[in-house]
Amino acid sequence: MSKMLTTGFAALVAAGLMTAAPAVAQEPYKIGMSAGLTGYAATVDRAWRDGVEVAIAALNAKGGIMGRKLELVVEDNKSEPQEAVTVYRKMMSSDKVNIFISGCVSAGNFAAAGLVARAEIPMVLCSILPQQPDQVKWAFSTLPPAGFEVDTRLKYLMDKTQIRKIGVLHDPTPYANLQKNHAQKVAADYGLEVVGVESYKQDDADLSVQISKMHAAGARAILKIGLGGTTLTAAKNIKQLGLDMLMLTSLEDIAVFKPVAEVLGDKFFFVASPSQVYDVLPDGPLKAALTAFLTPWRAKHGDRDPNWASRGWDAVMLTAAAIEKEKSFEGPKVRDGLESISGFQGTTGVYNMSPTVHQGITTNPLLLATIVDGKVKVVQ
Amino acid sequence: MTKSPTITFPDMTRRGLGALPWIAAAGVLAYAFFVGGYLTTVMSFALIYVVFVTGLNVFMGYAGQVSFGHNAFAALSGYTSAYLTTSHGFAPLPAFGAGLALALSCALIVGYPTLRLKGHYLAMATLAIGLIVYEVAVEWTSVTQGYMGISGIPPIGIAGYEITSERGQLAFLTVIVALATLVSWRIRESRFGRALSAVAGSEDAARALGISASRYKLSAFLASAAFAALAGSLFVHVVGFVSPEVYGLHMVVLAFTMLYVGGIGTIAGPFVGAVIISLLPEMFRQFKDYQDLAYGAALILLLIYAPRGLSTISSLFRRAAAKKAVVS
Repeated sequence: MSKMLTTGFAALVAAGLMTAAPAVAQEPYKIGMSAGLTGYAATVDRAWRDGVEVAIAALNAKGGIMGRKLELVVEDNKSEPQEAVTVYRKMMSSDKVNIFISGCVSAGNFAAAGLVARAEIPMVLCSILPQQPDQVKWAFSTLPPAGFEVDTRLKYLMDKTQIRKIGVLHDPTPYANLQKNHAQKVAADYGLEVVGVESYKQDDADLSVQISKMHAAGARAILKIGLGGTTLTAAKNIKQLGLDMLMLTSLEDIAVFKPVAEVLGDKFFFVASPSQVYDVLPDGPLKAALTAFLTPWRAKHGDRDPNWASRGWDAVMLTAAAIEKEKSFEGPKVRDGLESISGFQGTTGVYNMSPTVHQGITTNPLLLATIVDGKVKVVQ
Repeated sequence: MTKSPTITFPDMTRRGLGALPWIAAAGVLAYAFFVGGYLTTVMSFALIYVVFVTGLNVFMGYAGQVSFGHNAFAALSGYTSAYLTTSHGFAPLPAFGAGLALALSCALIVGYPTLRLKGHYLAMATLAIGLIVYEVAVEWTSVTQGYMGISGIPPIGIAGYEITSERGQLAFLTVIVALATLVSWRIRESRFGRALSAVAGSEDAARALGISASRYKLSAFLASAAFAALAGSLFVHVVGFVSPEVYGLHMVVLAFTMLYVGGIGTIAGPFVGAVIISLLPEMFRQFKDYQDLAYGAALILLLIYAPRGLSTISSLFRRAAAKKAVVS
């Protein structure tokens, strides 16, 4: 009897070992994400997360990266820096993530960047990069430089209109401030003069004072910089005040723009990423990259705006390219791989990273569009 | 001659129950210290909040006043520490000294006129202070960097020795919390503390006893502002980064929750409340989208069954025992 038990136990142990061995070999590559799933960044970060999920599913369907499956760990930072530090720390110590592909809450990413850099874990971000050199070393961004959104609008005004005086209306977020500073710096290069710079809070219910001031100063076009419902507020204010002004807004979900277009008609323009104007893009590498993303995206999310999600897709694909290039999953190697990526065709543009450039889109991929009869039309 | 009371078994039980919240919170702290992991981070934030809430307790619990603006003093000190250490090469301690001086000056200027107000008027005035300082933090970008925040703030250090490890920081914060709690206890047991109790009970009655209500309220306001300033400065050195959101209205709401869940006016309340409120969301983290729902439900239950706070939980058992004795 006891011999039978011993044999049975040995068989069980052997079976356990046999099943355990491949399990160790196939331990998933863990991607951590600190995202503002609630709070002010919720719309953008939920879309970013969904894009990352679609990318991971696509790679896993092909067997993962170098035979290793990917696993996503998402934690809500509530769009707060303190909460971001906690969730980053949780994913590092409890979940043992290998890389971070985190959302657009800049302050949260900045607050945790020191912690992540000390642990030598690379970060691919939706937000702008941290400011400290030792932290930037480990951080990469899929966001186009802030100046690109401004340049696209200024070029249109210079080439296609007689307007030479403009106003800048912005919210106080870091990315909006970078755009505002860029506009002030380069407007003269486009033959334009910035005659008014006004700020607002994201929850402001009326912007007529700021708009009136800029109009009184001679501005005949407004560069509106910032996300959310204030774009519609500004449009309504312009119409209520009866002002003959153009409004050119920064990147945003197309769903936000449709009611704005109904208010301002042909006086409204917006910066669009390639994924938002896929149908009118010419065939080529960019369209091919977008097709690869939009096919699974539309299958899962229908006609939901793909802008932020496409960057999440790019972040995962950049990570995969870095791992395959270095043939290693080790943090420092993946970082090196990310830093040496060049000519990588993403859904937003071509990424060219280097030791001094971690915000890899170096050629302006953005377009200017408007909405005519409910349909998006590219004007520049 | 009176006979000194003997300690009976129910007395010992009551004392044991009274120490229970202390023991539980200290146990979690010790666990975080020895096991490490992200619980260390959670507890570090909890301890910083203990300092903040201890100050709020002096003003609200002992003196019976209301303040929605103590985040302003934390912000003033935190930003001063961050700015002086990163831009002018100050060591953390003198930078904190400057931040404390600024916070106390502001508290004095604001407190002198506003503490003549009572009830809702005082609450509204203090709310305004918090909102003003928040707006300054957002708009004064040449100093505060606005929403971009200030990064690269050095860790806590004294005499050239920097505490960089998380365990080291947790140990340091534990010492600070012990000192803060000791000071809070001494305040309550002192002549000053008894005067505050009198003011909390009835300002008119306190005046009749020769207590200058406005002077004591101002003193309590300054003392609590000092605690808030210490917490604000500790935060920036522990995290190494500061942005306006850190000291937003969220901080006030969280501190109020900690104070009421822990037990307002008690010595242990801030410690117990801060630890429990910091741990609750982590306990419900696996609920994902329902985390906030579970957290809210837990808070409601806590306030239903321990309306005077968890640190007074022994009184619940005492009341239950008394009821039982009456019935039998």
